[in-house]
Amino acid sequence: MEMPKVTRRTFLKVSAGTTAAVAAAPRVLKAMEVDLGGKDFSPVNLVERKAVPINCHVCNIQDGAIAYMENGRVVKLEGNPEHVSTRGRLCAKGNSGMWYSYDPDRILYPLKRVGARGEGKWKRITWDEALTEIAQKLDAALKEDPNTIMLKWGRNRAGGTLERFMKTLGSATVLNHTSVCESSKKIGMEPTWGPDIETPDFANTKYVLNFGSNILEAAYFHNPLSQRITEGRVDNNMKIVTFDVRLSNTAGFSDEWIPIFPATDGAVALAMGHVILRENLQDSEFINDWTNVTVEELKKHYEQYTPEWAAKISGVPAATIERIAREFATTKPATLFTYRGPCKHLYGSYNEKACMMLPIMTGNVETRGGYCLPRGMGWPQPQPEPPKAKHGSYLADHPDYPLAGHKVAQLVPFWIADGKQKINVYFTYQDNPVYTNPGSVDVWGKMFRDEKLIPYYVSMSPFMGEETALADIILPDCPYLERWEPESMPNSLWPWLGIRQPVHAPLGEARENRILLRDIIHKLDPDGSRGMKKYWNFKDGEDYMRHHFDSVPGLKEAGGLDFLKKHGCWPIYGKLNPATGKVSDKTGREIKAEYGLYRKELSEADMAGAVIEKNGTITKNGKAIGVKRNGRNYVGFPTGNRLINVRVDEWAEYGFNPMPTFKRIPWHEAMKDDEMILTTFKLNVHKQSRTAAVKWLAEIAHSNPAWINAQTAAKLGVKTGDLVRVESKVGYLVTKAYVLEGVHPRVVAIPTGFGHWEYGRLATLRLKDKPGYGGQDDPDLNNVWWDDRGVHPNRVIPVVADPIGGSQGWYDTVVKVTKAGPSDKYGDTQGDWQKHYEAYKETLRYAYTGDLHRKMHPEMASWGGPESVKPKAGGGH
Amino acid sequence: MSEELRVSPIETRGVAGKKRYAMVVDTRRCIGCMACQVACKAEYDTPLGVNRTWVPYKVVGTYPTVKKHFLPRLCNHCDDPPCVRNCPVEATYKVEDGGFVLQRYERCIGCRSCMAACPYNARFMLPAHRTYTQITNVVDKCTFCFHRVTQGMVPACVQTCVGRSRVFGDLNDPTSEVSYLVTRNATQVLRPEEGTKPHVFYIGADRNATEFGRDAYRKPEVMELERAAFKRHLNI
Amino acid sequence: MGDYVWFHDVSWHATYATYFFVIGIVAGLSFLSYGSWITPALRPLREKAAYGSIVLLAVGGLLLIADLSQPLRFLNILNPAYLHFTSPLAWGALNIVAFGIVSVLYVLSLLKKDETPRTRLLATVAALLALGLPVYTGYDLTVHQSRPVWNTPIMPVLFVALAITSGTAVGSLLAAGNEAARKVLHSYLLWSTAAVGVILISILGTTNYGGAASELTFMILTTGTMGLIFVGAGMLAGTAAPVALLLAPAGRQQAGLMLSALLVLVGSAALRYALLMGPQQLQTLY
Ligand SMILES: Nc1nc2c(c(=O)[nH]1)N[C@H]1C(S)=C(S)[C@@H](COP(=O)(O)OP(=O)(O)OC[C@H]3O[C@@H](n4cnc5c(=O)[nH]c(N)nc54)[C@H](O)[C@@H]3O)O[C@H]1N2
Ligand SMILES: Nc1nc2c(c(=O)[nH]1)N[C@H]1C(S)=C(S)[C@@H](COP(=O)(O)OP(=O)(O)OC[C@H]3O[C@@H](n4cnc5c(=O)[nH]c(N)nc54)[C@H](O)[C@@H]3O)O[C@H]1N2
Ligand code: SF4
Ligand code: SF4
Ligand code: SF4
Ligand code: SF4
Ligand code: SF4
Ligand SMILES: [Mo]
Repeated sequence: MEMPKVTRRTFLKVSAGTTAAVAAAPRVLKAMEVDLGGKDFSPVNLVERKAVPINCHVCNIQDGAIAYMENGRVVKLEGNPEHVSTRGRLCAKGNSGMWYSYDPDRILYPLKRVGARGEGKWKRITWDEALTEIAQKLDAALKEDPNTIMLKWGRNRAGGTLERFMKTLGSATVLNHTSVCESSKKIGMEPTWGPDIETPDFANTKYVLNFGSNILEAAYFHNPLSQRITEGRVDNNMKIVTFDVRLSNTAGFSDEWIPIFPATDGAVALAMGHVILRENLQDSEFINDWTNVTVEELKKHYEQYTPEWAAKISGVPAATIERIAREFATTKPATLFTYRGPCKHLYGSYNEKACMMLPIMTGNVETRGGYCLPRGMGWPQPQPEPPKAKHGSYLADHPDYPLAGHKVAQLVPFWIADGKQKINVYFTYQDNPVYTNPGSVDVWGKMFRDEKLIPYYVSMSPFMGEETALADIILPDCPYLERWEPESMPNSLWPWLGIRQPVHAPLGEARENRILLRDIIHKLDPDGSRGMKKYWNFKDGEDYMRHHFDSVPGLKEAGGLDFLKKHGCWPIYGKLNPATGKVSDKTGREIKAEYGLYRKELSEADMAGAVIEKNGTITKNGKAIGVKRNGRNYVGFPTGNRLINVRVDEWAEYGFNPMPTFKRIPWHEAMKDDEMILTTFKLNVHKQSRTAAVKWLAEIAHSNPAWINAQTAAKLGVKTGDLVRVESKVGYLVTKAYVLEGVHPRVVAIPTGFGHWEYGRLATLRLKDKPGYGGQDDPDLNNVWWDDRGVHPNRVIPVVADPIGGSQGWYDTVVKVTKAGPSDKYGDTQGDWQKHYEAYKETLRYAYTGDLHRKMHPEMASWGGPESVKPKAGGGH
Repeated sequence: MSEELRVSPIETRGVAGKKRYAMVVDTRRCIGCMACQVACKAEYDTPLGVNRTWVPYKVVGTYPTVKKHFLPRLCNHCDDPPCVRNCPVEATYKVEDGGFVLQRYERCIGCRSCMAACPYNARFMLPAHRTYTQITNVVDKCTFCFHRVTQGMVPACVQTCVGRSRVFGDLNDPTSEVSYLVTRNATQVLRPEEGTKPHVFYIGADRNATEFGRDAYRKPEVMELERAAFKRHLNI
Repeated sequence: MGDYVWFHDVSWHATYATYFFVIGIVAGLSFLSYGSWITPALRPLREKAAYGSIVLLAVGGLLLIADLSQPLRFLNILNPAYLHFTSPLAWGALNIVAFGIVSVLYVLSLLKKDETPRTRLLATVAALLALGLPVYTGYDLTVHQSRPVWNTPIMPVLFVALAITSGTAVGSLLAAGNEAARKVLHSYLLWSTAAVGVILISILGTTNYGGAASELTFMILTTGTMGLIFVGAGMLAGTAAPVALLLAPAGRQQAGLMLSALLVLVGSAALRYALLMGPQQLQTLY
């Protein structure tokens, strides 16, 4: 390798750590400024490493990154200093992303099942064999009914190709993982103000109310927002208060951690609203101008939610509720953030709604340091585009959950088992329901093992995940460092477009997803006679990106795709300032974000042909495009009426309370003293099911003992390390206890991401085996010292579907925790399809069509009942 | 040791014309994300079982008043390093201009005197297996990213520090950010009584994490369970 | 598992303690061999002790080298370009080599039955260099300012005392049959072991009343397995018991002396182990 040329800054010519190093060290210039990144050098021979800008996808926060290559191998990952949100930094996961590519157990050629499903016997086949077989199966399915072809993805950042694939086939049976993710948060927000998430301006705020987001470890958007939180906390003296059932790192970092009884955030938030309105601390002008209710209506509605009422339910003292409410309302600017804590419950949508009311009623919306709308950017799709599928799909648009715009995927196996919809071919993409969904093996595992329910199952994955292990055929897809993908994420107050580009050719025989989908279609329609091929006319991934990016106004002028290939993102707002770690403009001052988006004024052109109704709504050919307020024509919020809908009339149609409300979970109310609630949560260094095989992360966290509060543990007679049995109505598990002060006494908390029975040798600690599917071994795995891979909790978690948002009630499971018996072994887990099935039947009773719906909504007595509404197909995105 | 009296000729703190690099770790900003630890592992292909930097934490208090304290750890690049003093073959040495304490891998005999001498567990023995780096079976440690700093880049752990808790620079340069932070804040170093003159300065470090607690003797079971497994690593 | 903790290994393991033990005997024996030039009673021990010490020196040297992670580089220590005089190990290396050379010469002239003052001079020089061995090993621990117990000036003294006890013990086993020698060895063993006891007590005292680290090290040294080795085997069985025995009439008998000698050997081995490992434990938790 040739030596680097000695720069002005270089002290020495030779590699660090040799005699010459000291000898040759000259007096270098004073005040040598040290850059915050953008270059990387080998510590052994000082050769500068080749830099390729990419977009991180170890998790889904979408930070801009740079991959540094040495001898054709990615050896280092770094944040892209030109990326306005990421600002050059990556989290622990992002720093270890190369191990997705170099996982010794990565699948590098197509595999065909031999032997029974899940038996682990595979035969290497050629791509052509694979594609031919799949094409035949699709052909047969198409003849019967395109909707019998199902595709379910978990993480989908392909930018439209998966949708395009299914539309090309004419199937509407497309599902995702959003209902086990955060969907009820989205559903709580979307009808209210439009977008499905907020952007809290942490860096500039003075007060943060955090309801159940573990932003310093997880959440959207961990890395970029954590940066702003530390800035706000130290540089701007903000106060942060966190409500959580356990001491997450976020709670541990916060000025106040307020433990709360699971699922009761809504009650606390409503009570705070009560205090604010009772003491007249609200922003009346904002409420009257920008919401669909008046201050009077709101005060009236909130009268019922007293702090005493909430205190009884949540265990948070009334005095604390009042104090925090006053602090929040009188500190300006203030903001609020939530993530899965409040929303992953039976009535999660109500909880989310109740929380978001606080920044709304205090007028902190879209202010500097406040609660802002997400900023994103779009891109055009290659033309022509296939039409929407002709017929809706029962699984994808379920009539019992008309408001669940993000679907109710956790119920799909039961619906399929009930024969609600026939499946001929099932495709999975970046989705491991056998591990990540409630019931895991007992529900999804059972479904996939049953060839009557799923006759043909294709997994598009580079890894032998629990779901892929059950497939009939595996197509070796590419990890993110080998993919072309368009990106944009509202992960800061500055919108951006980004790109994921391959750092090197796919390893082995791996193919990018968009390529292999194209290859399937081309097999199916070789000569274009079926009218499918025309939607798939692109040379390669890069060519596809050109269709996306070369016509985006602004980017086009900057150089389109070529600009993105060079910089990784666009626009570039300024330079990362080494002195502040913030982005500075040419004058050296920090760049300023835009606020008050809803107050943007409509242009002459916009107003041309528009009518202004007397309530101020500006409509143009039947569609509201803005609101007139004190003489000005504003765009308002991206909702049907351009206002914030505190009252969501659409909910009322289905007998749900349209106003902010709270519903106590019946089975929580009925809990016995010796029962607890099981919470599962994410750790900072792991990403769902997929990082257990990333050695640097596994070394930091490889096991997941159950967090138990010290007093509770004393009652149970367990100490750290003792085996405990955690039993729910659908199964039980045996794991180690981790006794600490930092968890609610009624909660047992188990981190997710551990206890794999598949996903390669490191995840399962079967290191004696050899790499199975063409991967290259890593000598460092000889140094693996830990012998505990943890215990997987999902088998004991039953399905619960939020009747509004459709979201899985992950954090609602009532369990009995006991000292393990003599027959219990560490790692025992047990679940049962039948019991999970009963749980499914039970949860349907809460749907608007179910018998418990009315009982839960006495205030909606006047509602006409299910018959009064004809089911609508769910919209959402 | 903000206004330090220099006793040993090896010390370069405050010596005109010499740089004295230092790191400031603002624990108020540390979120325990472990990015630094992993970035360092990647930068050096550091094998499993050993670390140049690590971020232990302690949960303190009684429910419901509980707090979590992180304390990022690494070599202090002591101005008067006992490890250097104790190396029989000068395989570990201090770079005068900058204050880096480095290793001469090709010279190290592996007697581990430096490890015994370091009050901070900053040194470790490299195992025989590594992913792609050839240097094995000698003692290694944090180098303050000598190879990056001499190229005008901050250390890898500082570069990626999500909370911007780690700040790096020349303490002999009054205009540097580290000088500013060390002057404007109450700082603390680890085990100052050892006279090593550490050059990693902590802002807001918690005593539960910086001192030998009683649990150093009555070890938390959590730790022991893992330690049992870890010990096997010594036979790897 | 639960909290994130990171683990550290102790720097020096049992091999090093064994080396201390062996090298102590080496020194002790060459004292005796030298002593035989002054105290005629010890004459029968001269050759035995000299040969024993040189053999054990070889063993010790190999142990030391084997303990390096880069055994083949042990010559680096002697490389003048590398030699680093602030390190006790560097001095130690020179000391061992010098001692080795002189011992060889000494043994050669003993083999030649050469009783001239030249041989006596060699014995004297060898004994002086031998003194350096326990001194440097003790000093090797003393310099680690952050380690309780190690970091006491008395360490080299203790190691010299231990060298005398263990050397004398071996001598006693070799020469216990000889009435005259036994008398002398008895008093050597008694007083050196007593001296060790006194030193240990003063060490424990200062440690117990030291700072947090010292206090905790005291707890580690006096409880659990380490306590069993240090207090049980080292102080009671290996120091107090032999002293008592040696004071008793039985101690003057051959059997009594040999038993005390064995106890002393066990004790001094246990003490070396505990003194090396004990003070390292605490810091692995820092
Ligand atoms: N490191 C890491 N980061 C990630 C991910 C990952 O896997 N790993 N995944 C990404 C994805 S897909 C998502 S959806 C997000 C999820 O990000 P988060 O929602 O922030 O994380 P979770 O662990 O799902 O849940 C957050 C917190 O809710 C708490 N909680 C449980 N029940 C309640 C309750 O009733 N009330 C309150 N107030 N709190 C409660 C849990 O203790 C937990 O600390 O993270 C994203 N970022
Ligand atoms: N108990 C409990 N369960 C949970 C959660 C919880 O908090 N507690 N969190 C829930 C949340 S928030 C979410 S979002 C879901 C996530 O649930 P999923 O989306 O199912 O989880 P992932 O682990 O992201 O999916 C990983 C699968 O995708 C495949 N894969 C990995 N990398 C690639 C790649 O680069 N290309 C391709 N083609 N495939 C790849 C692998 O086969 C792997 O099995 O988990 C949910 N599960
Ligand atoms: S949060 Fe971490 S893993 Fe997720 S995208 Fe950002 S850097 Fe990558
Ligand atoms: S990267 Fe920074 S914030 Fe994260 S753990 Fe390390 S020091 Fe703390
Ligand atoms: S911290 Fe330890 S290794 Fe680093 S310089 Fe100080 S003594 Fe040496
Ligand atoms: S181990 Fe290597 S660096 Fe450490 S003291 Fe011995 S020779 Fe020097
Ligand atoms: S300075 Fe460099 S070597 Fe030291 S801990 Fe940070 S990254 Fe690792
Ligand atoms: Mo998620």
